[in-house]
Amino acid sequence: MKILKLALGPYMLAVVLAAFFWPKPARGFIGESSRIVFFHVPCAWTATIAFVVAAVASIVHLKRRDDGSDEAAAAAIRQGFLFSVLATVSGSIFAEVMWGSYWNWDPRETSILMLLFLYAAYLFLRGAISDPERRGVFCAVYAIFAAFIMPFLVFVVPRALASLHPQTIINPQGRILMDVPTRSVFFGSLAGFTALFFWLWSLDRRLERMKRRRRALE
Amino acid sequence: MPQFEARSVAKSFGGPPIFRDVTLLADRGLVAVTGRNGSGKSTLLKIFAGLLRPSSGRVEISSGGAARPPDRCRRLVGWSSPEVEFFDELSGAENLHLLARAAGLPCREEDVRARLSQLGLQRAASRRIAEYSSGMKQRVRLAFSLLADPPILLWDEPFSNLDEDGTARGMAAVEERRSAGLVLIATNDRRDLSQPDAEVVLS
Amino acid sequence: MQKSSFLSAAIAVFSREARQELRRRTTVASVLFFALAALTLIAFSITTLAIAPADRSRLDSGMLWILLFFSAASGLPRSFVREEETGTALALRKVAAGETVLFGKLLFNYLLFLAICLAAVPALCLLQDWTIQRPAAFALALALAGYGVTMVSTFLSAIVSRAGQKDLLFVLTALPLLMPLLLPAVEATARAAAAAGDLSPYWKVLTAYDGLVTCGAFVLMGFVWEG
Repeated sequence: MKILKLALGPYMLAVVLAAFFWPKPARGFIGESSRIVFFHVPCAWTATIAFVVAAVASIVHLKRRDDGSDEAAAAAIRQGFLFSVLATVSGSIFAEVMWGSYWNWDPRETSILMLLFLYAAYLFLRGAISDPERRGVFCAVYAIFAAFIMPFLVFVVPRALASLHPQTIINPQGRILMDVPTRSVFFGSLAGFTALFFWLWSLDRRLERMKRRRRALE
Repeated sequence: MPQFEARSVAKSFGGPPIFRDVTLLADRGLVAVTGRNGSGKSTLLKIFAGLLRPSSGRVEISSGGAARPPDRCRRLVGWSSPEVEFFDELSGAENLHLLARAAGLPCREEDVRARLSQLGLQRAASRRIAEYSSGMKQRVRLAFSLLADPPILLWDEPFSNLDEDGTARGMAAVEERRSAGLVLIATNDRRDLSQPDAEVVLS
Repeated sequence: MQKSSFLSAAIAVFSREARQELRRRTTVASVLFFALAALTLIAFSITTLAIAPADRSRLDSGMLWILLFFSAASGLPRSFVREEETGTALALRKVAAGETVLFGKLLFNYLLFLAICLAAVPALCLLQDWTIQRPAAFALALALAGYGVTMVSTFLSAIVSRAGQKDLLFVLTALPLLMPLLLPAVEATARAAAAAGDLSPYWKVLTAYDGLVTCGAFVLMGFVWEG
C-alpha cells in the first residue's frame, strides 16, 4: 500500500506533464483549452464516485451503527465536496474560454452545481446536530435519500435541460474520437484522480479516528 | 405473558456512558429503578419503551415465540414520563382518543373515559388540556400509558405533582397490574414503591 | 400493522393537524400572506421588462415555482417542528410508527400546498396578465410536482425538526433534493400555459421522481423516527 501512495505523486506529475505536452490540442477548441478535459472530467467523475462511497458507507452505518462507517461517509462527503468545487470551477473557466461566459446553465454544469449543493447541505446538517449517534443516523439517512434522487441529477436533468437550450455543448467527452495520446492521458488521469480520492479519503478517516480516540481518553 | 429482556444496556450521548451493563430479565412484578438525579433513570426507561436506542446492549420483548425490540411491539409497553405533553387545544378525552387511533388501537369513547375515570378525571375529561393543572396533566399521562392495557408498564416519576387521591389511584393501578404483568417505576422517592420485587440501581 | 389500521392511524394524525389548522388558521394564513407578498415583489420588479410573448410563459412559470418553493419552505416544516417544540412528539413517537405519522402529515401538507397554489396561481395570472391555455395540463403539472415538493419537504422536516438552526437547515437541505424536480416542473407548467410543446416526457419524469422520493422516504422514515 505504501508503495502505491509514494508512487502516486510521481504518477500524477507524469499525468500533468503528459497532459500539457503529449496529445495535441483537440480540434474545435480554442487554443490549448481542450487540455482541461484531463483535469475537469476526472474531478467531476471523482466527485460522483465520492457520493456513491458516501451512500454505501451510510447504508453500512444504518446497519452497524459504528463510528467507523459514519466517519467514512463524512470523509467521503468532505472529499467529494472538494472535488466538486474543483470540477465546477474548472468547468466554469473552460466555459469562459470557449463560450465567453462563466456560466451557461449547460446541463452538466447544472448537475455538478446541484451535487455541490448536496455536499454542502450534508455538511451543514452534520454541523447542526450535536448528539453523535443521532448525527450519524440522520446524515446517513440524508445521504441515502439523496442517492435515491441521484439518477435524476445525472440522467434526467441533463436531458430535460437539453431540450430547453440550444446545443451549446461541444461534447468534450468524444471518447470514440480520441486518439491514442489523448485517450491514454485521459484514462491515466482518471485513474490518478480516483486513487487520489481514495488516498485523501483514507487520510481523512484516519484523522477522524485519531480525534475520536483522543476524545475518549479525555 | 411477555418476557422483558434487557441485556448489558448502556447509553452515552457523545461522552462517557451515563450508565452501562444494565441487565434485567422479568415477566411480572414491580421493579424499582432508582438512582440520584442525572443517573439516567428517565433515559433508561425511554430505552426500555423503545423511544431511544441503547448505545450498546439489547432490549427485547418476547411474546408468542418472537423476540422483538419494544418499538416493534408498541402495544405491549405502556410508558409515562413528565416529559410527555399533550395537545393543548384538545380535551383530555380527545387527546387520548387521538393517540389511541394513531396507535391503531380499536378505541371507543367509553374506553377512553373509563381510563380517565380510573385516574379520577371523569369530570374534567371534556375540558381542554390547556385548562388542566399540573396534577391533572400527570393523571392524563398515567391514563395514556394504560391505553392499550399493556402487560408491561414503565412509569417515570409517576406520582410527581399528584395529590393524595391521584397517588392512591396510581398505586391501586400498580397493585392491580404487578401480579399479572410487569411494572417498572423510576423514582427518587422510596415512598412511591410498595415492596418492589426487584431493584435496578443506577449510579 | 394491518393496512386498514395504518390508514386510520394516519388519518387520525391528519385530522388532528387539519382540526387545529381550521381552528386557528395560523399556518395557512401566514404562508398565504408570505406567498402573496413575495409574489407582489417579484411581479413589481419585472413588470417593466419587455419580454417576448414566447418567453413570458417560462418566466412566469419560473417565478411561480420559486414562489411555491419558498412558501412551502415557510409552511410545510411546521407540523413536525411544532410537535418537537411543544413536546407532543414524544407521545406520538411512543404510540405510532414513523410511516404512519409521515403519511398523516403528508396528507395535510399536500392540502396546504394545493391551497397555496389556489391563491398564488390566480394572483400571478392577474398581476402578470398570464393566460393559461391548457388549464387541465397545468393543474396536473402542479399536482404531480407539488406532490414531490410536499413529500420531500415533509420527510426532511422530520429530520430537521430534531436538529438545530431549523429554518436555514431546511432550505439548505431541501433545495438540492428538489432542484431535479423543480427544473422539469417549471418547463412543464410553462408548456401547459403556452400550449406549446410535448408534455408526455414530463409526466414520466414527474411521476418517476414522485415514486422514488415516496419509496425513499417511507423506507428511511423508521430510522428518523427512532431515538
